[in-house]
Amino acid sequence: MQAIRKCGPAAVALVLALGMAAPAAGQTYAIQGGTVHTLAGRAFVGTVVISEGRIVAVGENVEPPAGAEVVDATGKHVYPGMFDAVSGLGLTEIGAVDVTNDSREQGNFNPHLQAATAIHPASEHIPVARANGITLTMAAPQGGDGSIAGQASLVGLDGWTVEEMWVEPGAAMVIRYPSLGGGGGFRGRRFGPPRSWRQQQERYEEAVERLDEWMDAGRRYDQAAKAGVDMPRDLKNEAMAKVVGGEMPVLLGADGERNIRNAVEWAERQEIRFVITGGREAWKIAEWLAEHDVQIILSPTQTMPSGLDEAYDEAYANPGKLHAAGVKIAFATFNSSASRTLPYEAAQAVPYGLPHEAALEAVTKNAAEMLGLGDRIGTIEEGKLANIMITDGDPLEIQTQVTDLFILGRGVSLDNKHKSLYEKYRGRPGRRIVS
Amino acid sequence: MQAVSRLPLGRGLLGRHARLGALAVLAVLPAVLSAQPRPTRPAGLRLYAIEGVRIVTVSGSVVEDGAVVVEDGLIARAGANVETPPGAWVLDGAGKTVYPGLVDAFTTLGHGGEPSARAGFGGGGAGGPPNQEERNHSWGPDDRPGTSSWLTAADDIDGGDDRFEQWRNAGFTTVVSTLHAGLIAGQAAVLNLGSFDRPREMVVATPVAMRINVQDRSRTYTGYPGSSMGVLAYLKQFYYDAMHYRDVWAEYEADPSGKRRPEWDISLEPVRMQFAEGWPVLFPAGSRSDVGRAIRTTREMGVAPIVYGAQGAYAAADLLAANGIPALVDLDWPEPPRDGDPDAEPALEQLRLYDRAPTTPGALAAAGVKFAFYSGGLDGPGEVLPAVRRAVAQGLSEEEAVRALTLSAAEIFGVDDRLGSIEEGKIANLILVRGSLLDEGARPEAVFVDGELFEVDAAEEEDGDDETEEAAGGGPEDEEPGAEAEAETGTEEDSRPGPRRRGRMGRRPAGPDPATPPVPMSADKGPYRDDPATLIRNATVLTASRGTLANTDVLLRDGKIARVGAGLDAPRDAVVVDATGKYVTPGIIDAHSHMAATSINEGSVNVSSMVTIEDVIRPEDLGMYRALAGGVTTINILHGSANPVGGGNAVIKLRWGADADDLLIGAHKGIKFALGENTKRDRNPDRYPATRMGVQDVIRQAFLEAREYMEEWDAYEESGSRGVAPRRDLKLEALAEILTGERWVHSHSYRADEILQLLRLAEEFGFRVRTLQHVLEGYKVADEIAAHGAGASTFSDWWAYKVEAYDAIPHNAALMTERGVLVSINSDSGEEIRHLNQEAAKAMKWGGLDEEQALRLVTLNPAIQFGIDDRTGSIDEGKDADVTIWEGHPLSMFGKAVQTYVDGKLYFDIDMDRERQAAVRTEKKALLEKHTEAN
Repeated sequence: MQAIRKCGPAAVALVLALGMAAPAAGQTYAIQGGTVHTLAGRAFVGTVVISEGRIVAVGENVEPPAGAEVVDATGKHVYPGMFDAVSGLGLTEIGAVDVTNDSREQGNFNPHLQAATAIHPASEHIPVARANGITLTMAAPQGGDGSIAGQASLVGLDGWTVEEMWVEPGAAMVIRYPSLGGGGGFRGRRFGPPRSWRQQQERYEEAVERLDEWMDAGRRYDQAAKAGVDMPRDLKNEAMAKVVGGEMPVLLGADGERNIRNAVEWAERQEIRFVITGGREAWKIAEWLAEHDVQIILSPTQTMPSGLDEAYDEAYANPGKLHAAGVKIAFATFNSSASRTLPYEAAQAVPYGLPHEAALEAVTKNAAEMLGLGDRIGTIEEGKLANIMITDGDPLEIQTQVTDLFILGRGVSLDNKHKSLYEKYRGRPGRRIVS
Repeated sequence: MQAVSRLPLGRGLLGRHARLGALAVLAVLPAVLSAQPRPTRPAGLRLYAIEGVRIVTVSGSVVEDGAVVVEDGLIARAGANVETPPGAWVLDGAGKTVYPGLVDAFTTLGHGGEPSARAGFGGGGAGGPPNQEERNHSWGPDDRPGTSSWLTAADDIDGGDDRFEQWRNAGFTTVVSTLHAGLIAGQAAVLNLGSFDRPREMVVATPVAMRINVQDRSRTYTGYPGSSMGVLAYLKQFYYDAMHYRDVWAEYEADPSGKRRPEWDISLEPVRMQFAEGWPVLFPAGSRSDVGRAIRTTREMGVAPIVYGAQGAYAAADLLAANGIPALVDLDWPEPPRDGDPDAEPALEQLRLYDRAPTTPGALAAAGVKFAFYSGGLDGPGEVLPAVRRAVAQGLSEEEAVRALTLSAAEIFGVDDRLGSIEEGKIANLILVRGSLLDEGARPEAVFVDGELFEVDAAEEEDGDDETEEAAGGGPEDEEPGAEAEAETGTEEDSRPGPRRRGRMGRRPAGPDPATPPVPMSADKGPYRDDPATLIRNATVLTASRGTLANTDVLLRDGKIARVGAGLDAPRDAVVVDATGKYVTPGIIDAHSHMAATSINEGSVNVSSMVTIEDVIRPEDLGMYRALAGGVTTINILHGSANPVGGGNAVIKLRWGADADDLLIGAHKGIKFALGENTKRDRNPDRYPATRMGVQDVIRQAFLEAREYMEEWDAYEESGSRGVAPRRDLKLEALAEILTGERWVHSHSYRADEILQLLRLAEEFGFRVRTLQHVLEGYKVADEIAAHGAGASTFSDWWAYKVEAYDAIPHNAALMTERGVLVSINSDSGEEIRHLNQEAAKAMKWGGLDEEQALRLVTLNPAIQFGIDDRTGSIDEGKDADVTIWEGHPLSMFGKAVQTYVDGKLYFDIDMDRERQAAVRTEKKALLEKHTEAN
């Protein structure tokens, strides 16, 4: 236990070894001496006790239970682990190599498919994300405009198998709301046959009708099932039944101002639980979104303005404007290899108007609350799953290092492919050529 | 059908009605004539006079009451006191005006095809899918892609082209006809629209110009050149070839005896003639930057340009005037699409073109630019005068308008000695108009071509109008979407005056009142301030060269960093900026960018060293301003990575609003190379190489060829440069420059093995690779890179997007730095460039660089890599005043640029940006109201 108290890299390795060797759920840790940012109240210097995968005690004067492994966090900061609200972690390995991609199935109606089925627990991307404090993600399937792509799975970023990783395999349904407009023109240049406004509208209406039909079918199936009608099992309708019944929230993709407005109105008509994903132009209707109590998982802040004549900092200022209007936001990378940059997507919004505290909440607890998982993850509170990071500074800052990480109660390694390559080649001796 | 009566003004007919109003009489004739055989030529009206007519001579003053005597197809006399010669037939011109016949200065009449309506640089060269036969695939300039220089519009005229008659009815006696297909499309000719049954007789002059296109819209070839920079390189190479050809033949012909006869070349022969006779090229240019490219390119081609398109030339009148370049203005004024998305907002640039294109003629006239008009994309010649009237409503004088339609066009094409004005001795190309040509509804009643009279049938012409209107006017199908759109956007019905719903010529709903002055342009470009001196006071200065200086002042004067120190006195003329609590760094330098260019890849061939980004800089790219807002002052625009040997780069400063030429800063010449996946992936048709072995081979072969080329030139120069110089080859010239050290190689690379192989290949040929770009596995061979002396320019933390990026690590920059490599971090992206300071900071997190080492990754180091460190890259006295002020530490996530200076001029200011944004929004709102909501 002496090694753990020192808490250097070697200690982390040991934690890993212990975590992996012993049944994970049995481990008990006491994180001591750090400034604890619970995100459920004020910060304090104190102790967090983890046991059986959960946070069992938090406070200034908590005594470590007997047998707990003590992690010395003196001079450091203890935060809830970060939650990349939507990512492709585990579903893709090498972007350009099709056979390594499992995020996009054929067809546009796959509500019964579940990301967890294809998450590759040994993906090199997972430990890379982890090393920067990402502890949780919703790995999400992808689909085209107007599609129902499948179910996103909430997973912790540690586990020998996906079963050890997952928290909620059917956490949310991924729907890309159809966009109105576009087609046949791009920034004033034509690349396809131009569509008239009327044709654009027709295409849009058809896509919405298709969505409505899928929803209605789910509703009918649900009613029939509840009425005990004997019928063949339909996996798609079964999945849709959870959506129409409000059991499963929807990640409703929409970026443009009109697109978001239409999506929200549609979702309200359908009376479903939903979160908008994307939201690039959401600032334009921030008040309206607040009135409608809409919550948004924002796509990366570090992106170009939505239009040629938009302000250079449109995307940087978007989160701050939404927050100021009272819209609840969370950040996500919607990516796999870039998942580790999640804190920077939040931080980028800070000098452009988003309060620092709000930025932090938007990479930890907000998404959890949006998905109805706020009672299980997102903050450092007793009873919650133990996803905790220990840092040497502000986790939103680039130069901050994550020194220790706990996922689902397990102390995990911060080693990864990058670090090992770094160490290997840093240790490369001078050139040796035999002549 | 069209509405002309050819009137055989025979003696018998007119003789009986001498001194009567000839036209009044003739007007009743068509019904009679239509039953008669189509006359092949008016029979013998050799001598006649138009009396009592107002004469707009164009070349001289207007004669209010005079006569024009036409004899044998020429103007014999014209003026106030002209006597009708005995025996002449007389036409009564009372109440009418005679003008020189109109000239449509750029058409394809007689040859089919569309004249390029929207001339300018779009991007690609050969467009569209590769649907051509293999034989039309071009693998380089030697394949003469899109070239038909030997074809002339004077040959093979299609006498059955309906447009001849249509144009003549609208008052055009003359057109410049061109062939439209390809890049070097062929020779233009001036045609008179008289007896087109015998096309040879139509030709007034040929050749008058060579038509050049920068996009092959007819897809006459696939392959090279496949980009705008490829097209420009090809045009230059082709004309260099022609110069060489000319010289070779001149030498031979001077004394053929004992010499081997040079090979005759059908494509170069006409250019030899062009050089000898001095006729110009017709070169497309829509915008100011297009005009700049036209000037630069034709200068190298050794020919004078006439630019066509020119709708955005309102912003380039000074350039055209200074260079004495004439312009042909397309009268198809751009308008918003009528049935588009009602919420779609055209970009400011586009809206301004809608608003200002019709001001171009007035601006050109005011600047003294010679210009003419062409019907371009208009639906027909009947739309020409209404379009000209819009230009008149926007500041062009009627006199200038008429001149542009007549004499100016003749002058531009060198036929003003024979037509274009009403002067004795000129061809009797005349039109007779009731009232004035530019009156609303005015149109010619009679058209004389080569003295031959064609009368325009008023009644049929009217019918034609109505038909068009019914066909294209607002039927229910067209109106409904508009109405829905209104409901959605809440536009007031009242704001749409009823009469405007009726289309001009039934084609589109009318735009705004043509006389409405243009919406004032906001100052969206250029520096916010340009002060003789600026004192930045009391900042934390990260010099990038000698550490961080607390509480330090920086004085910028005359574009340079004049002083750096504590407690500097503010010069009397200095603007003082209080930077207490703020940070100052050198302006950020991006070592790898692809913005601000009309094309990036010439990937059609595996060696494209003949192309260069410098040819296609696009100074309108808003990305430049956005980068300034991220503290960036200098960027290196690189060719893409589609081929092992790419093209030349362009190192520019972000002088937002300046012309392309003024952005270049004279960095050491460079060229992009590329290795690995991008160069070898599958292409259609197959392109060598497909392996890393082949990539290496392509580069080695290219250098072997370049060596031979150098030897050829060396031999020539050693022999005292006597005789004809060897052929200039732009591709090999650039490669030779690498071998002599004049041009540095910046090579895209990923894997350690390919990096090593390129270094060894360079060593084999005796040069050093200047930078390895991306170089994601550079950390694996850092010692080798350092020993070779190459720099490295990498990403901060991108990885896994392809196989060769799977071993990328974010420690790369730090590890290479540790091993002695000169490292920079680049963006390769329009977004990443906006926070390169953060990307640099990642090398502190991953690998532990210190603050100055990290900052150098995006300042001093890239400056060294491009040979501009004597001018920029650090805060040192004497360097260019390229300086960024930050609120918050620049190596923190929370630092943001608040001011960016380039050459001491303030190009970004976070507060003034707000004002500019507001001004742009105001302008845009006014433009949208004017140009879209009225529709």
